[in-house]
Order: sequence, then structure tokens, then C-alpha cells
Amino acid sequence: MKLYEFEGADLLEKYQILVPKRQVITSPKDDISISLPSVLKAQVLSGDRKKAGGILFAEKKSDFDKALKGLFGKTISGEKVEKVLIEEKVKGIAEYYISFSFSGLERSPVLALSSKGGSGISDAFIYPIDMLVGLEPFFVRQTLSRSGFPSKDINSLSIIILNLWKLFTEEKTVLAEINPLLKTADGAFFACDAKIDYGKRRAVEAMNGDIAIIASGGGASLINIDALLLAGGRPANYAEYSGNPKAEFVEKITKEVLMKPGIKACWVVGGTASFTDIYETMKGFTEGLKKVSPKPNFPFVIRRDGPRTKEAQKLLADFAKTEGFNFFIYGSETPMVETAKIVVQLAYYKNNKKQELNK
Amino acid sequence: MSILINKNTKVLIQGITGAEGSRACREMIEYGTKILAGVRPGASGEFVEGVPVYDTVEEALKHYPQINTSLIIVPAKNVKDAALESIFAGVPLINILTEYVPPIDSSIIVAWARKYKTRIVGPSSIGIISPGKSKVGSIGSAEIRHVFKKGSIGVISKSGGMTAELAVVLGKEGLGESTVVGIGADTICGSDFVDILELFEKDKQTKAVVIFGEVGGVSEERVAEYVKKKKIKKPIVALIGGKFTHLLPSGTVLGHAGAIVSHGKGGYNSKIKALKESGIVLAQTPEEIPFLLKKMLQIK
Repeated sequence: MKLYEFEGADLLEKYQILVPKRQVITSPKDDISISLPSVLKAQVLSGDRKKAGGILFAEKKSDFDKALKGLFGKTISGEKVEKVLIEEKVKGIAEYYISFSFSGLERSPVLALSSKGGSGISDAFIYPIDMLVGLEPFFVRQTLSRSGFPSKDINSLSIIILNLWKLFTEEKTVLAEINPLLKTADGAFFACDAKIDYGKRRAVEAMNGDIAIIASGGGASLINIDALLLAGGRPANYAEYSGNPKAEFVEKITKEVLMKPGIKACWVVGGTASFTDIYETMKGFTEGLKKVSPKPNFPFVIRRDGPRTKEAQKLLADFAKTEGFNFFIYGSETPMVETAKIVVQLAYYKNNKKQELNK
Repeated sequence: MSILINKNTKVLIQGITGAEGSRACREMIEYGTKILAGVRPGASGEFVEGVPVYDTVEEALKHYPQINTSLIIVPAKNVKDAALESIFAGVPLINILTEYVPPIDSSIIVAWARKYKTRIVGPSSIGIISPGKSKVGSIGSAEIRHVFKKGSIGVISKSGGMTAELAVVLGKEGLGESTVVGIGADTICGSDFVDILELFEKDKQTKAVVIFGEVGGVSEERVAEYVKKKKIKKPIVALIGGKFTHLLPSGTVLGHAGAIVSHGKGGYNSKIKALKESGIVLAQTPEEIPFLLKKMLQIK
């Protein structure tokens, strides 16, 4: 889960890192308490915000009003702007870059530093952190010195970096990035953007298509959605559960995924599970399905195998019969990716070829 | 032969009294794995499936010094503590099943494991199985245990769910496995593909290896490097998932750090390019894998 900039800024402040005076507004009509000149920033998660015109500067009241109106009508990388962050403009003489993230190669957290920060940054000095020691101030001073920061900045930057490290480790985030860290003429530093990421995906992510997906297993889901796209399918969402979830969790995902309008088919797909209770998860699916309104009349392709599959398949077949659903049920005898073709066929080409498909 | 676990594997389960821990215990005993002890602070003197429970790893090892493997199934926030306890007690192999371990905790575990030369598999591992010999973790539970058959193919998978699916697919074409290892898909992992491939390289039972990878991290790229440098010579078939993920709202790289730290690696295209260049055979679907293996090994 990524935080919006304004949430990230609050978190930086909590860890004693200076952030410009700011205000979040949800409508152009809100009262503004930040004085001019100011910066107006659309609150979206896309990294291309600046390029897309999501950051505007205003010197005068008329510029400000115009900018504000423009931002609220905007959509950036598919995300509608619903909040705008207004910040007092800080006059800077240098822009620095600081981040903590994880390197799979080093298998440790890394500190990345550059004395040439800003939105155009493409390279930085990378310092892996030895977790037997942790991050000690001497090490931070060393990295700053090696990365070419001015001697006068080393003490204040060390404090900011150690505070950011505290945030990174205590909040257990996968990313804590300040870019730019603005240096003012009198040697103060302001964090002018914050990117904080907790790393977890949302259970359901929206996509633009019309085939609803309830997938199991992180890896299998990736293979299956790749296969669906290859077969010409358009996924309506990416929803995935793994491990051994309770029926209620699958029920919740099912409802969320199937409430979306314009669905042409639903694909419930997973591999042969090692320990997931298939009966329990399919029970959750049917419970969720009961609560979807209007009642779906599109076809469902279900491919799953693993512990208690036989009982699960019987449950599904009985449920389809009594409740009047169009289920196509498969197990490990039918390759996962084969069922991608089946669901595409049923969704887009007039169907009722049940017998033929079940052969 | 097989790798990591065999008939001499003697297991300690940390978190044996929990729902997942006791289930794994039962399933492992049914498979024939030797479980000597369990740990649950405050539960010393209890038994789970006939296995004695102790307060500490040290105490368990005092009674059963032959323990050589620790299985960790405890809540994510307790994993670092449990792993360090086993590392400092000198257990040489630790398999961590727990998901969502904070990567900062995993980094600490990995740092100490390197110092003590402890082998860590996981976090987020589904377990390890050497068919017909032993299994550790949740891999191949209940009736699914029969899909894993003894054979000459090594399997390494980031995804736990894909291990049984791959075994089904191999089994349909008459192929079996030497050892199947779930390494988890966490950025900070105890063992990556290369670490396990190095073990398969020395294993006589293993003739070829299947790796199942996915977007994120750089362990697939690292495999390509090792193969290029001829540090790994056994034939490999790779299947990589997640081509579509750039279409997801969350699929974009992590800030600038994502691009700067990984130097553009980690995405689907980067992995496919690196693997192709190193000469590793790429499968498009799971079902292709057995045929590619048979061709490489000249099995009819």
C-alpha cells in the first residue's frame, strides 16, 4: 500500500522531519489558509504526476484559482484527482535525494543518496546497510562525505537521514523516499515530496476489462492473467487470495469483484493447492455469489484442485442447479491456461456450448 | 540423493501448538517426516500429535541434539525472534513458512544466518519436499502428497501454490521430482534461485531444474548471470509470471528508488531478456515444461 503525499508528509513530521506549511483540500471551494506564493499538487499515486501537469505553481490569486480549478477536473494515469495539497512555496538553492528501500541483490536495506535530486533523477549512490550493526551515525556521515555533499550540510543531513531510518524501520515500510529535499539559503531543509510504501497489495485491484477474476495463489494468478490476455480476454480486476483463507474472506472478495457493472463472465481460477481447503474457499465463493445483486446471469468458469476438491465440486454443481447459475467446473485434468480460452469463448462469443466445452 | 532434506531430516517445529503449526505437524508425520520436538513458550510438557513441546529451542535441543531442521510457523511479528533463536542454537536449516514478515526483520535474519552459516528457506515458503523421503512445511498436504513423485527433476518456486500444480503437470508426462523447494517471493529471502540451484548442481539425483519465477526482485536475473558464467551447468526450464502487471495501478515501480536501486531490473521484460540471453529455456505455459525437459534430457 502506497501512501498519498499528504499522508507521507504527516508521517515525516511525526519523525521530526521538516515539511513546508501545507493544507489538503477536497474541493475548490474550501477555505485556503496557506499564503501565496504556493505550490498546488494533485494527490494521486502515479509517479508521472509532474509530467502530467499535476504540480502547479501560483504567485498571484488569479493564477491560484485557475490552477485549482484545473487540477480538480483532472485524471492522471487513470486516477481522478479528488484531493489537492497546497503548500507554501519554499525557495530552494539545492535539491537533494534521500531514500531507504530494500535490495534483493544485497538482501538488505539500502540508503540511496544524491546531491542532485528532483524529478529528473536517474542515478544515486547506493549504500547497503549491515543489519548486524544497524545504521550508525558515523556510517551516515561517511556515506554523505563519499557522495559529495557539502561539509556544511553533513550534520543536519545526518539527523534527517537517521530520522527517516527511524520511520523506515519502525513503520516497517518498504520505501521511504524524500525527493526533493530542498535546501534553503539559510541552510534549512524541507521535505518537498514524500513517497512511503508499505508494500502490501490491495486484495482487489481494478482493471479496465469485463471478465471478473477471483484467482488463488500469487504465482498461479500471474500465469493465469497473462494467459487470459494472450487468449484475448480483458480482465476487469486483479483479485487474489493465497494461503488458507476463511470462507468469509473469499465471500468478501467475490462480492466486491462481481458488483462491478458490465461483467461478461467470471473466472474462478487457481492451481492444484498444496494445503488450501478447496471446499472452504468455494463455500465462501458461493456465499458471496448469493449476495450479489442483480443476480449474475453470465457464465462462470471454475478451475481449481487440491485438498477436498471432490466435495467442493459437488457443492458447486448442487449450488448451480438449485440457484440457477451457469457454472463450468474443472479440476487439474484441464490445464489452468486452457480455461482462459474457455472463459474468453464464453464471454465474447455467443455461448451455450457447454456440452462441447466440457468434452 | 536429494537436496536440503532426506530420510535423516529431524525436525523441530516452532509454533507447533498453533492451528497451522499443528496441522503441518500432523501432515508431516503422515508423510513419514521425523518430528522430534516442538517449541511454544509457556507450553513445555504438552504434546502435539505425540510430539513433546518445550519452552525454548535450547531446551528442545538438549533433549534431542540430533535435530537438524527447524520449521517456523509463528505470527509474522514473532518470526525474527524465532529465527534468531534457532540460528543462535546452531540449527543448520531453517524453513520459514510465515507470510508478510516485515522485510526489515528478514534482513536481520539473513545477516545473522550469513554469519552463522545457517541455511534459511523462506519467509513465505510453502515448504520443501523430497518425494518418498521427507517433507517439511505445508507443501504436498492431505491427498495432494501423491502428486509429488520421486524422480530426477529439481523444482524451485517462488509461488507456493504452483508447486503442486507443477508436480501434477510433470506427473502427467511421467516425470518426478528430486526435491521441490518453495523459496517464497519476498524481496529479502533466505535462499534465492541461485542458492538452491547450486545445491541441485551437486545433486546426483537431479538431472534438470524447473524454476518458477515472477515479477519483482532480481533473483531471476541472478540465475541468468550464473548460467552465463557457467557456474550452473545443469539444464534449466524457466516459467515467469506477471507479464501483465504493468497494467495494474500498483504495478508501477516504487518511487525513484525502484528504478535507481534495481537499475531497471525486476520487471517482466528484464527477466525474460536476461534468461533468454543466458540460454535458459523459457516455457510459455506450465504444460509445456515436461516436453521441454524431455527434449533436453532426450527422454522419449
